[in-house]
Amino acid sequence: MSDSQVRDGAAHVLSAADTALLLAVAGRVAPETAELDAAGRAGFVAVVERALALRPPEQRAQFRLFLRLVRWLPAPLYLRPFERLRPEQADTVLRWFQDAPVKLLRIGFWGTKTLVFMGYYGRPEIGPAIGYRPPFAGHDAA
Amino acid sequence: MTEKTYDVAIVGSGAGGGTVAKELAPLAAEGRRIVLLERGPRLADREFTGREIEMAEKLYVDSGGFMTRDRTMTLAFARAYGGSTVVYTGTSLPIPRAVVAAWNVPGLAYDDLLARTRKYLAENNAHALAPELINENNRLFAEGCRALGYGCKQFAVNVGDCEGTGLCNMGCPKGAKLGTNRIQLPAAERAGVEVVTNCRVERIAERTLHATVTASPHGAPSPWPPGAYRVRAKLIILCAGAIDSPALMLRSGLGRDLPALGRYFTCHPALTLVAQHDRPIDNHAGFPKSYYCDDFADSHHFLLETCMYFPFTTAKSLIGFGAEHSGLMRRFDRLQMILALIHDQALWRNRVTVDRYGAPHVDYHFTDAVLEAFVAAMRVAARIFFAAGAARVHAPAAARFLIERDAKDRLDALIARRHLKLGRICIQSAHPMGGCCMGTDPRSSVTTPQGRVHGLPWLHVADASLFPDSAGVNPYLTVMALADRVAQNIREEAGALLAA
Repeated sequence: MSDSQVRDGAAHVLSAADTALLLAVAGRVAPETAELDAAGRAGFVAVVERALALRPPEQRAQFRLFLRLVRWLPAPLYLRPFERLRPEQADTVLRWFQDAPVKLLRIGFWGTKTLVFMGYYGRPEIGPAIGYRPPFAGHDAA
Repeated sequence: MTEKTYDVAIVGSGAGGGTVAKELAPLAAEGRRIVLLERGPRLADREFTGREIEMAEKLYVDSGGFMTRDRTMTLAFARAYGGSTVVYTGTSLPIPRAVVAAWNVPGLAYDDLLARTRKYLAENNAHALAPELINENNRLFAEGCRALGYGCKQFAVNVGDCEGTGLCNMGCPKGAKLGTNRIQLPAAERAGVEVVTNCRVERIAERTLHATVTASPHGAPSPWPPGAYRVRAKLIILCAGAIDSPALMLRSGLGRDLPALGRYFTCHPALTLVAQHDRPIDNHAGFPKSYYCDDFADSHHFLLETCMYFPFTTAKSLIGFGAEHSGLMRRFDRLQMILALIHDQALWRNRVTVDRYGAPHVDYHFTDAVLEAFVAAMRVAARIFFAAGAARVHAPAAARFLIERDAKDRLDALIARRHLKLGRICIQSAHPMGGCCMGTDPRSSVTTPQGRVHGLPWLHVADASLFPDSAGVNPYLTVMALADRVAQNIREEAGALLAA
């Protein structure tokens, strides 16, 4: 992970700016993420970073590139980057990516929202809030 | 580099490798040395926690996120003691007679495959679950099918005392699912077959495997210390699956004389459809997959199966985002799910390759036939949902996020090909097949009909990569039947194959 950045004493795949942008996107993709407290946000980011860290370096680079595209593509139209868009403007931008005429852009958005969903719905503590309560104890514990 | 010498080396421990290991175990009793090398870990029972992300990382290649080269489809396959039999649902379907006929492999008779299939149906305790073990998610599918006049059949599933955790695809936390990790591999080990986990085979040379053992954060330590190994064996049998078996051969330079190596890859591309009921239903508790409908297998090339996935897997399967997506997810306990599996056709261009680092890649082109089958499958599934009483349906290629009950008469207009955009919808596959297909012509096949690699009598294949075309049904039983056949041939010729 030579291209990772080190922050707060731990290895990070995403820069602080990329993390902030990811959280802004996440707030529109999975609105519950906007209501997470600091620990929840840290848990969310940890899951996403872990997933990215396990991917090949070129995929991590592509993800960062896509985030930058999300940040700046709206600028010519709205005269501001994604993080500073009003909610309905941000949704319009994301919907454009989802239905983009270029397959690569659609895939970029699908990958991004997949990471967001992994960060939010992939954490066991979310289960009860959505009515999902499987027994998590392993065989021996059961 | 540590040297090891065996009579037989098996690569992979899933449906193919586990079967071969057990079927060749009598040779071990006769004094032959047999080793099985498995890339993944051997997890202790307590390590099957059912936690989605944690188990995906422990059990699946790329945590379940291995994608085709153009990133339009995710391929899920496992690496563990037991291979993908640890994570399959255990739905046990014999291959249809018409598929074997269409494969047209000389000497491969349907009746012979069926007899071997029945052997593993019995050995792995495949049976229809008792009615009281079938949950509402499954019963609603059956009700919907019957209301519409569609056929609805019950799967045999290979479980022991199923406690209905619904976590089959994360590895059963109760040890109830009877994959090769529970049946064939322990039997093989008792008979003297050595199983080495956390051991990745890098390359094959003449009667030699180059492998690396690594320390894994999960499971029991490998019986071999971490490091590089040269494993010499008189006979090598590849059972690493339809992606890793051809990839291993390709990075070993065997593609030069075998132009079909890696080609004719198929995978039953699949979509998950979701419906919401007005009330909570029993969905995630209970065995997830009990029924299927194959009424459209011949006419439209798809199979519908009941299914129930976990929160993250479900969330990523849905089109859309934001409040509407969140609204559907928030009532997870009201969701009913159907999996649409497409019976795709083998194409020369759909193939496994390796990059300069030897890592596998899959090129997969979606034909018009596959895309049309997706659309037809979504329409039928939506009808079944509504016939079962669903309030609204989410189909990945629909004009709107949710189709409400009052629009159920307009499904053909609302679910249409123009809405099916690759890269926008979540296409998944858990049935990789082909890449080392059987045949008689070395220009268009990789192995003989008996699974022996053309021109290399010391190298055999015994996994789903042998399939010359897709199976049309969940493939594990057919993999076991073919592996049983390969093993029988090896046993019968052991004197010559294992001569000094």
